[in-house]
Amino acid sequence: MAETATAGAMAGAAHGTARKRPYVYVFVVLAAVTFLELNVGVLGLAHDLQVTTLVVMATLKACLVAAYYMHLRYEPKWLILIPIAGLALVSVLVVTLAGGGNP
Amino acid sequence: MSEAEEKGHGTSAAHHGSIWPLVAGFGAAIGYAGLVTSTTILGLGIIVFAAGVGGWIRDDLRSPSSPFYGSSPETPGVVRVSARKLATWVFLATEVMFFTAIIGGSWAFRLRTANWAEPGEVLNVPLTGLNTFILIVSSLTMVEALAAIERGNVKQLRRFLGLTLLLGIVFLSIQGYEYVKLFFEEGLRFSSAPDGINPLYGSTFFIQTGVHGAHVTGGVLALAYLNAKAHRGGFTKENHEAVELVGLYWHFVDVVWIFLFTIVYLI
Repeated sequence: MAETATAGAMAGAAHGTARKRPYVYVFVVLAAVTFLELNVGVLGLAHDLQVTTLVVMATLKACLVAAYYMHLRYEPKWLILIPIAGLALVSVLVVTLAGGGNP
Repeated sequence: MSEAEEKGHGTSAAHHGSIWPLVAGFGAAIGYAGLVTSTTILGLGIIVFAAGVGGWIRDDLRSPSSPFYGSSPETPGVVRVSARKLATWVFLATEVMFFTAIIGGSWAFRLRTANWAEPGEVLNVPLTGLNTFILIVSSLTMVEALAAIERGNVKQLRRFLGLTLLLGIVFLSIQGYEYVKLFFEEGLRFSSAPDGINPLYGSTFFIQTGVHGAHVTGGVLALAYLNAKAHRGGFTKENHEAVELVGLYWHFVDVVWIFLFTIVYLI
């Protein structure tokens, strides 16, 4: 029982539960960016610029969710290496698909 | 001592002694073998897998959800990551690669073929925008559920878990409604599309959103399990790791949708 309680306390420390976290603020940003995404057409941007803007906004939202809701911001720094390892392999696929040859 | 521990299933050692994950894995192996051999073996695999998952859930509902840090000695001041959380992140890394293969393949088709539909030409963007918002709200309620049990507030945990489950079901319902409209009214099918639009548009749309929908369905089932366990008093301030792990999965599904919404609906 003591062992379990210690583990629970460590989990709490790992999550930084003593601090107030900005979950609602992050939600407001996510909702606002989603609204902007839906209305980006009214800006009259060139096609390529519009696509870039949309991808940047999606990346921003994904980073916010990973950092705050998935707690990567509060975890040991090395943990982020795991999803980055996945992304590194993903980059190989993307480069391959973007290259020449038939799909 | 928690309610679950009072029932006599409280030790970490007992929790990790379950045979059912092994049974489920064995069933899955039989099922995969059945995919390339016969439907009888496939059926047997599904039955064994279902029995394994059922037994696992039954055992777990009766025990607390405590973190497992392995056998290395604790070092004061050093924050460690539990074995289950580490495994969940590794699993999510594989999911990143899985989804990228599907999205990347679809994008390659799009770049190298003509007559792709413009945003809003076939798909209902405002409705899906609403669905995107619903999934974002569900991420907020999920993380608030974890925050609640970290404070030891079981009542709020139940409330937020129930809301998350409800929002997940609403998301799937709207996606189902969208599928029916597209399939029967717009004529967007797995291998065909409305006049003038590349048939690959239908294939890539359904594979991308369908695989994501299957993941949301898995998340909804996991949330149903969390709700059941929460109502049985299975989570406490000290023992609640399952809430965090299911939350990681749920937020990941949200992240995937953030990109899918942009790539499939807005670009």
